[in-house]
Amino acid sequence: MSLLKKLFKPFLIVAPYVFRNSQTVAYPDERLVFSDRFRGRHRLYFERCIHCSTCVRVCPCNSITLVDVEGREGTYPQIDYGMCSLCGYCVEFCPKEALEFTDLVEFSTRDRTELVYSPERLAQVPDIKDVVPRLKRRIEPYLTKTEMKYRKVEDL
Amino acid sequence: MSEPKIEPDLMRVSWGPQHPMSGQTRILLDIDGEIVHRLTADLGFTHRGIEKILENRTFLQGIIPIERMVMVDTANIGLGYVLAIEEALGVEPPERADWIRSMICEFYRINSHLYAFGLQVEATAYFPAVFLWTTIDREIILDLQEQLTGARWSYNFFMPGGVHADIPEGFQDKVLEGVEYLRGRFKQYWGAMVENAIFEMRNEGVAVLRKEDAIRLGATGPVLRGSGVDMDVRKDDPYAAYGDLDFKVVTEAEGDAMARLKVRFHEIEQSLDIIEQVANEIPGGPVRTRIPLFLRIKPTEVLSRVETARGELGIHMFTDGGMNPYRVQINSPSLRNMYVFERLAELDEILLADVPVVINSIDPWYLDSDR
Amino acid sequence: MNDLLTIWKALFTYTIAPLEISGKLIAGLFNSFTSALWSLPGWLLRFFWFNFKPLMQVLLLPGLAFILLFAIIVVWFERKFLARAMLKVGPYYCGKRSGWLQLIADFLKLFLKEIIIPYDAHKILFLLMPVMLPTIPALAVILIPFDQNWVLFNAGSLSLPMFIAIAGLAPLIPIFSGWAANNKYTIIGSFRTAYLYISAEIPLVICAAATAIMAGSFNLVEIVEAQANLWFAVPQFIGFVIFFLGLIIESERTPFDIPTAEVELVMGWRTEFSGILFGFTMMAEYVGFLAWSLLFITLYLGGFNGPNVLGLPLYSHVFWLLLKLAVLVPIVIIIRGIFPRLRMDQMLRLGWYYLTPLAVLNLFIVLTLKLLGVFP
Repeated sequence: MSLLKKLFKPFLIVAPYVFRNSQTVAYPDERLVFSDRFRGRHRLYFERCIHCSTCVRVCPCNSITLVDVEGREGTYPQIDYGMCSLCGYCVEFCPKEALEFTDLVEFSTRDRTELVYSPERLAQVPDIKDVVPRLKRRIEPYLTKTEMKYRKVEDL
Repeated sequence: MSEPKIEPDLMRVSWGPQHPMSGQTRILLDIDGEIVHRLTADLGFTHRGIEKILENRTFLQGIIPIERMVMVDTANIGLGYVLAIEEALGVEPPERADWIRSMICEFYRINSHLYAFGLQVEATAYFPAVFLWTTIDREIILDLQEQLTGARWSYNFFMPGGVHADIPEGFQDKVLEGVEYLRGRFKQYWGAMVENAIFEMRNEGVAVLRKEDAIRLGATGPVLRGSGVDMDVRKDDPYAAYGDLDFKVVTEAEGDAMARLKVRFHEIEQSLDIIEQVANEIPGGPVRTRIPLFLRIKPTEVLSRVETARGELGIHMFTDGGMNPYRVQINSPSLRNMYVFERLAELDEILLADVPVVINSIDPWYLDSDR
Repeated sequence: MNDLLTIWKALFTYTIAPLEISGKLIAGLFNSFTSALWSLPGWLLRFFWFNFKPLMQVLLLPGLAFILLFAIIVVWFERKFLARAMLKVGPYYCGKRSGWLQLIADFLKLFLKEIIIPYDAHKILFLLMPVMLPTIPALAVILIPFDQNWVLFNAGSLSLPMFIAIAGLAPLIPIFSGWAANNKYTIIGSFRTAYLYISAEIPLVICAAATAIMAGSFNLVEIVEAQANLWFAVPQFIGFVIFFLGLIIESERTPFDIPTAEVELVMGWRTEFSGILFGFTMMAEYVGFLAWSLLFITLYLGGFNGPNVLGLPLYSHVFWLLLKLAVLVPIVIIIRGIFPRLRMDQMLRLGWYYLTPLAVLNLFIVLTLKLLGVFP
């Protein structure tokens, strides 16, 4: 008897899954909402940077170098996202909080040299609709008793 | 690597790097029909020289490379390194930081065991249903961790002296809700896969590792506890608030693949209990003590041990007064378990169809064994 | 009055006149078609006229179109259905969110890929075996009756033995192709194929013979007609279960797809095939599945029997057979998602220790029932 139970009980547990909704995110049309602490692309504030090069020294991946920016005095950080591991040290240890994280993670390019973000590019963070043109809504997960579902947070 | 010679009448099949289920390793099977007479593991495909990299990074910078040793278990390994630095420096983290560290480590233990469970089920059938369910359940843990630390798998949350930041508001309720949900899911897993007639046929009695052999060969982690030996670093040598928390060390007596699976399963339940305790009873206080950004540590030698999901990890560090450590030796659990795996062909009869099941019940992570 | 005239003019202009014009066009087309038809050579016309029914059978049902459509639809259904069990969506973007064009895209991709023949492989066998692979189960499909008068090849009282004979050819192809590819993985797959079929053929043949005894004839049409009152699944329940397991074994589906176990041997005996040869092996799995499920339905589930719902008995018989097929296929597909794969020695033990004695027991039950006169 217990052999039959072991043969039929998995059947009864797995078969109802056919009627559930899928738990995938249809990416170009939907995107998750991330938390405040999420570590994505950086944003640079020109007026706060004091060119102290702490971020250069503390980066474990050697991905920050200080370069000149035309129209401004002093050198500003340039981040190479081919090497950056998004660890968060530069944001945390900057004495003036000139670097902070946004929630964009779409770094793909066709050319490796485009991954080096100059200070001007770091200072300008594009809107999410420019980066992912097909985006229609932002969703977030919530838990019910038996499954995890997604609900819409905002429409775009 | 010099491969051992093939005996006559045996066929050598390379369960090799180009294989749907081998992971990043190559295992040479000397088979005679279906019976495997000899297993030789050819490791080293993913050697990155982490121990050498650590010599060229400062102490704080070194946490990043060493976390990437195991992708599904980064918190425990980072904690090992941070504990070594703290011991060398002589700094004690505050109590609240210890409790937060335990919570994150237990989350990661659940994460790793779910992944291992899914892989073991997938190894019997290559049908990724249960593997995908475990992936979806891991999403819940990853979402919680993202709200706490800001990243989904490589937290970089531990610092010598404490943790980076405090728990955000409303986090405790979400943690308790997630724990309740995960408890409900395990009944489904238990009923659908562990009590499955054919799954039991594939896993019971396979690759039995007896207690004496497990101790003699140096197994660690769930492999050791699945053979009836009661050893766990969290109880023998407590670190990071495990001394104050109330949990049991799970052992099973049979030593076959099913016993190791059940050990992982029950360890997940114990981890859920620990997380619930931490969420309810965490003490207040600061989470960080100040340490200089570019540390210099005077010449010492320290050894720290943590219990990762795969076993005991030891970090043996030598400092010499500079900003970088002089030498870091990492004793990884997967390497020791792979040695046990090689000897299993002599200890118990393994068939060719059992090889993926046995490998995933031992659960090595090849980046961990190669470092 | 003016309004009525406007309305009549509008009606005439927009509805009746086009119909009249198009009616003239259609009549003109039909005339030209039939006159073109009469101008075809006489032997061709006589061929189409006298062989209309066999041509329909070969081309549509149960011939070329049915088998190909079944393979395509079941592949699509399996991917979507199992994706649901895995909480995914399956093919989504090709074909307006249902993904039916994905199969055509996959088939085109396989067709256009390069066929790589290994260096020391036996070229003739390597290229020939995948071509024979779907044709052998297709030969078995032609024996299945869809109606009393709609059997592609009515072999009379030899139809059931002929089916079994063709099924006996089926394991040879994986064995040959595994040897021809000159690869360690494929040769292990060949050995496992031999073991698998050895352990499963004998119970299947005994159960099929038991059904024939109960019906009193080897003719598949008469077996179906003998189930007009009661399906054979009810008195031969053991045989029903054994044949159901045998159906999954013979079409090499999980939990019995040991020869092509992807976790140990990369793809078993299918490893070295690429391009359209691989497409043939994939199609063969589904054609074999079709052949054996049709036999299962014919022997145990009443074949084409069913109340007359569609007017002509031919149409309703075909409808009932397809309906039973449509109920059986999802059950076999969902079993793939629930149970892991058996090991080879467990499969042999299952076949010889359990299935063969149970099949003999089933035969004894049938003989007893027959001698007691329960089933004349």
